[in-house]
Amino acid sequence: MLSTNSRKIRQDETRDGDPVIVAENLTVGYELARERQRLTALTGINLTIDRGEFVVLVGPSGCGKTTFINAVSGIVKPWEGSVAVNGKEVTGPGPDRAMVFQDYALMPWRTVEKNVRFPFELQGGGGLAKEEIDARIAHYIKLVDLDGFEHSYPYELSGGMRQRVGIARALVSEPDILLADEPFAAIDAMTREAMQAEMERIVAATGQTVVFITHSIDEAIALGDRVVVISYRPGRIKEIVPVNLPRPRFASDVKAIPEFSALREHVWELVKDEALRTSRGDTL
Amino acid sequence: MSITDRSVAKDVGTETPRLVAAETNVRTIWRRYGPWAVTILNLSTFFVVWELFARAEIVNKLFLPRASNMFTALWDGLTTTMPPGAVISGSIRDHLFYSLSNLGMGVVIAIAIGVPFGLLMGANRYVDSLLSPYVWAISSMPRIALVPLFILFLGFTRKMQVTIIVLSAVFPIMINSWAGVKTTDKSLLSAAKVFGAGRTQLYTKVVFPFTLPFIISGIQQGIGRGLVGVIIAEIFGGSKGLGYLISRSADTFNSPLLYAVLFLLVVVSLSLIQFTRWLEAKVAPWRRLETL
Repeated sequence: MLSTNSRKIRQDETRDGDPVIVAENLTVGYELARERQRLTALTGINLTIDRGEFVVLVGPSGCGKTTFINAVSGIVKPWEGSVAVNGKEVTGPGPDRAMVFQDYALMPWRTVEKNVRFPFELQGGGGLAKEEIDARIAHYIKLVDLDGFEHSYPYELSGGMRQRVGIARALVSEPDILLADEPFAAIDAMTREAMQAEMERIVAATGQTVVFITHSIDEAIALGDRVVVISYRPGRIKEIVPVNLPRPRFASDVKAIPEFSALREHVWELVKDEALRTSRGDTL
Repeated sequence: MSITDRSVAKDVGTETPRLVAAETNVRTIWRRYGPWAVTILNLSTFFVVWELFARAEIVNKLFLPRASNMFTALWDGLTTTMPPGAVISGSIRDHLFYSLSNLGMGVVIAIAIGVPFGLLMGANRYVDSLLSPYVWAISSMPRIALVPLFILFLGFTRKMQVTIIVLSAVFPIMINSWAGVKTTDKSLLSAAKVFGAGRTQLYTKVVFPFTLPFIISGIQQGIGRGLVGVIIAEIFGGSKGLGYLISRSADTFNSPLLYAVLFLLVVVSLSLIQFTRWLEAKVAPWRRLETL
């Protein structure tokens, strides 16, 4: 795996992109109220993500991947260090960032259309006229292939369709950054493949910067420009693996390319020890 | 005698499609009206057996009237203003309206108190820890034990009766509202935060809609408990209402009237439950279908 290592170093030295997310020495954790304990989830994270980049975080359960995107989204505050988005330090949620959730987190009492409208209701139209907002909503519902289902309720849709609503809701305010927390984890294997292809197509169409969390190494390599492997408790960046496979990757069977299996093997080696530590319940 | 049996027996005869169509037709009719037919048959059998049993006079007719006498008493009581028996003034109808208007008033007051306090207790842990000892104390206590106290304070008045109804109905409403706020889906809350919801919006756009079906089922329970309160209050201290009729008809051995009122109570409480179910399905269709 020497070639992968050298590629990683080269990529880091020759960064010439336009940085959108900059995490510097980021340390975040939680207060466990009941045990009066502080649990460090992530520590010393230095990561720069460029505009239009698709970065995937992998690592064992509880390694702090979700904490990272929560810090970027602004719903948790750093203990040390900082996260900056577009050069400004993150102090709270903002319309330049949106998230897709593992359990979809759709409001069950709202129709598809009303769920997609939700961000506008909360943030205001951002200077858009009512017709423009309506057009925007219709556009993104169509982009995720849900036209005709505008007036359906989430309980009437399949898991894959619900997550399309989640994606449309995240895209509708046209944020710079799309944060996705294991968005396809609860979706069956076949639909999942289709959703990955959809994700690539949609992001190619909108040009968003994506931070994507997954447990699946295949999914990470198939989607990411870079795969960030995070170690277990407290979470640290173990290695950043660049993925230089041609796009669009789902036009042909990307998983059949020899380089794909080489990358998979490499990432698996990195993740394996961490996964073992998780299963043993090590805390340090 | 399934569809396939028949079509096989008939081979590829020209009549097969028509036969199949006829049979599916019978099936759809059966599926739609079958349960009703069974219920009607079931209940008629019950009343016929009752009638015959009562006619046999194995049990003293002062305790068990004939079903037909009960229905006559009920019909007369609901369609006329004739007093249903000695030393009772006002027909069943008058007493029914009295009880129902008390119940309505009591439930409305209980909603007006229970919902805001329940929501407040769910949302604010200081209010919660301040009020919850009292809420749990009174709600876990048998309300009937408080009736003499209220009679002492308020006398045998309508005010006393409504107070008892409110006290019976308010706690399920309050506790359900509280539970709705407390169990609001955490991921819905963080989604709303990510998309820019402020503190007020979290309550108006997430917590309240999430809690609404809880409030409705609280009201459903509240009506049930309220009805118990109505009867208790009227049996203990009243000169009007269905509870009063029950105790009065028992005192005067007017068993057709007593059974008529009991039967009417069943009908009333079933209709109220049905109404709140319909309301729940109307307000929160997502909840019913999700739990299926």
